[in-house]
Amino acid sequence: MAGKLNEDKFDEMLGKSLRRHSEPVPVDFTERMLKQIEEAEQRRILRRVVLQERLSLAGCIVFGVLAAVGILVFPGRIAGILRGIRAGFAERGGALVDGIGESISVEAIRSEWQLYIILALVLVLAFVCVLDMLVGEKLRTA
Amino acid sequence: MVEKIWQKRQKKKWLRLLRSGDHEAFGEFIDKYKETVFLCSRRLGLSADEAEDVASETFLAAYKAIGRYSGQAELSTWLWSIAYRQGINYLRKNRKEWQLEAEQDEQVGDSKEQGPAEAVQSRETEQIVWDAVERLPRLWAMAVILYYREEKSIIDIAKIMQIKENTVKTYLFRGRDKLKQILAAAFKEDIGSGR
Repeated sequence: MAGKLNEDKFDEMLGKSLRRHSEPVPVDFTERMLKQIEEAEQRRILRRVVLQERLSLAGCIVFGVLAAVGILVFPGRIAGILRGIRAGFAERGGALVDGIGESISVEAIRSEWQLYIILALVLVLAFVCVLDMLVGEKLRTA
Repeated sequence: MVEKIWQKRQKKKWLRLLRSGDHEAFGEFIDKYKETVFLCSRRLGLSADEAEDVASETFLAAYKAIGRYSGQAELSTWLWSIAYRQGINYLRKNRKEWQLEAEQDEQVGDSKEQGPAEAVQSRETEQIVWDAVERLPRLWAMAVILYYREEKSIIDIAKIMQIKENTVKTYLFRGRDKLKQILAAAFKEDIGSGR
């Protein structure tokens, strides 16, 4: 019984003494921590914005490349689609867009070699953009 | 009774704010628990600078994870788990010689040459007890602090330290036993030297 009492007393003394201990903490720790969190949050938001921008840029490039490839590889089909669209608009009385099909005449594009050069330059530029977007940052920081 | 209900409501409101990422609420959270986090890091044997790094990492991790805090465990238990994990990860990364096993630590604890009389001279009881805890192997000390200071259950300690409940009991039993020995000697010396 006395042993048990002593045990309890020891536990009580231990608990009390340990609870009284206070661990030293740098005075401005909370402020610094909040600042750090705010910076981390800003970095996270910035990363998200950059990612969104990159995705939209990639989308524009991919769409442009696909359109160019489509015109080069399937000129007849593209012209047909555009004519179909124009016909659809014309049927609905869309006088404003009446000239779209005619303005992108694939036959006319084929006969003009200068346009191919411009297109090639645009493709090279798009390729460089994609490359820069994917590995540019790594190369710069390496 | 009314006050208790009010406190409970306030706590719920605060927790909601905390989960939503409110900076002011998180500032209060840091203020409330920074000492606990430093305590955990220091008891793992980290220096003051290292403890600050680990504390920063702990609060950053807590900020990122607070939205997923379900409220099942006590907030302090949840934070202790993060702090303990961060501390252990830090030690694993930066101190190759550090051993997780308590038995390895025990030798370190026993090998201290400083005698109890030197360590406890002109100190108050709390300081004597704290010094004794600091002489324990790290994992025993951690279990003792969590049980006696933080009043955590064996189950919670097991979760925080990611060990089995029986291991926690062993750490507590051995830690307590060792503390008794150290304290008996310390108080004896203290009395012997006329204090």
